[in-house]
Amino acid sequence: MMKFIKKHLMISCREATLIMAKREENKLSFTERLNLFIHTSMCSLCSKFQKQTSKIGKESRHIHAEQILPDEVKDRLQKLINRN
Amino acid sequence: MKMKHQAEPQNWLELYGDLLFQYALPRVNDSMVAEDLVQETFLSALKALSGYKGEASEKNWLFSILKNKIIDHYRKKAREREMNDFPDLQQLTDEWFDEEGNWAENKMPKDWHNAEDLIERKEMQKIINWCKEHLKSVQQQVFTLKYMEELDSEQICKVLNISSSNYWVLIHRAKLQMRDCVEKHWLKN
Repeated sequence: MMKFIKKHLMISCREATLIMAKREENKLSFTERLNLFIHTSMCSLCSKFQKQTSKIGKESRHIHAEQILPDEVKDRLQKLINRN
Repeated sequence: MKMKHQAEPQNWLELYGDLLFQYALPRVNDSMVAEDLVQETFLSALKALSGYKGEASEKNWLFSILKNKIIDHYRKKAREREMNDFPDLQQLTDEWFDEEGNWAENKMPKDWHNAEDLIERKEMQKIINWCKEHLKSVQQQVFTLKYMEELDSEQICKVLNISSSNYWVLIHRAKLQMRDCVEKHWLKN
């Protein structure tokens, strides 16, 4: 029975992870939303995927380098600003 | 009374030079390019000085100029892209899933311990940055614009000159790749 449901009524993990990207932009139809909801509530792997990729997305925007501008570039830029 | 900000270009470098550079660098992955973008930001700001109404803080104003420069940089990269830089999306083998679309055995997501405090979050950000640097070119561009610059799919398609169907394939793969790479390094901690 489970196999039948899985095969005929559920979207695959490939499809589920693909439409998650569309979900981030609210681009899912009602059926897609429903399919994704059913899939992730039954599939722990895809639900992990969803949580982890959303974590990655949230942290990405805060990424900054530790390096600073080299001194010679700073000298050049300061001169440039003073000239203008 | 509302205070208006006054632009003080002579202090820009000292106050914002490193901040702008540190923002730009991981978004363009090249320190020379990042230095140029900071320079162009200052030059554009100087030119636009009379238009600066002091409504945004000087810092936010400079950052908004820099963000536009970053997008221009990607637009230019897309124009210079050779045909064979673009992955043949039909040809890509699907290493992530089996024929039925289930997770491949060696690609199944594992449990992660959470990054709670600032130190752990910084550690995760470092890993994400490393993994992003190792994405293939167009995937890397799509990932950067989507998650570091927070553009939406339509904007990204325009900037990179790609179709929306290619976009969804690319972002899907970028996410699969990134998650897998971050997991490998995160669980080593």
